[in-house]
Amino acid sequence: MVFSSIRERTIAENSMVVLLQGLQGEVTTVDLRNESTARGRVVSVDAFMNIRLADVLYQDRRGQLTRLQDLFVTGRNVRYVHIPDHVDIMKTIQNQLSKIHRVRNFASEGGGRKEFPKKTK
Amino acid sequence: MVLLKNLHPPTEGVRHEQAETTAVMDGQRLGCGTLYVAETRLLWFDGSGLGFSLEYPTIGLHAISRDVSAYPQEHLYVMVNGKLSDENEAEMAEKAADDEDEGGSSSDDGDDDDDDEGTITEIRFVPSDKASLESMFSAMCECQALHPDPEDDDSDNDFEGEEYDVEEAAAEHGHGDIPTFYTCDEGLSALTQEGQATLERLEGMLAQSVAQQYHMAGVRTEETKADFEDGMEVDAAAMEAGQFEDADVEH
Repeated sequence: MVFSSIRERTIAENSMVVLLQGLQGEVTTVDLRNESTARGRVVSVDAFMNIRLADVLYQDRRGQLTRLQDLFVTGRNVRYVHIPDHVDIMKTIQNQLSKIHRVRNFASEGGGRKEFPKKTK
Repeated sequence: MVLLKNLHPPTEGVRHEQAETTAVMDGQRLGCGTLYVAETRLLWFDGSGLGFSLEYPTIGLHAISRDVSAYPQEHLYVMVNGKLSDENEAEMAEKAADDEDEGGSSSDDGDDDDDDEGTITEIRFVPSDKASLESMFSAMCECQALHPDPEDDDSDNDFEGEEYDVEEAAAEHGHGDIPTFYTCDEGLSALTQEGQATLERLEGMLAQSVAQQYHMAGVRTEETKADFEDGMEVDAAAMEAGQFEDADVEH
């Protein structure tokens, strides 16, 4: 996951972008707003839905195909991201959220600040 | 097609600089110059200072092309939304002014029109050093990430504020079961009869609690309110002299 800031993590955690971030490594098709499509392996997706793809087959509006080694499309220009059929959407979202929470609770795991112990029931 | 003159290298925030880079715009070769990938904008100009700059929000995508069957030279492909011409710049300046007059309400429409028409500018940066393409690409990715889309359709990205506004949600979804809180006079009209009665009783309590003695286990009021509909039965007899056999209050 690419989180440059706490703000980005919060944005991602509260939107469907977490699903796209869970597609890292998957090959999928991104439909762009200008009617072109890009099919490739998802390298990363940030909180603003900027998507980086590798080994891309890019088809422009006229249908012309081009191979691109690396492609970065801005979130604003994304219309659809196809979720591969084999991807379990709920599981992917849950995995992503648990990763985020693990990072957030990193300091508290193993005790954290000892002077404020958590109340045990 | 307009090329700006007397361009200078950016003084700071340059993530990548690539000399001996040819720029091709919509198929037209502009010449050989230097590409500056700066945090504020993308800049290219030749030895005489003639060139152009691109704002990151206008860049739709960028990519590394190594497929020489598609284009004979390995290059960095950049797709810009809209056209880079002085006519367009004038139009966009006017549009921006109009948008400001209209309170920015049509700015989205204006941009969407541009995008929907599909007007794009294709720019190819062809460096003499092909190995540098990855660095150029990465630098652009980093700078692009610094310019998130301000006109995001999803306006819920601001999480500094309240996460869930009950009143807003009730208004939007019209759910009757979500409790709605009123804090001013306009809410009085929304009270049911029962609610009205409860309000009167509570206000009565408040008014009298200042001067009156009251017992811990019950409410003592001067007048007996006949319309206690909330199920709390107050045994007036038990309140005299405040004596109780047991602490339990029968409801």
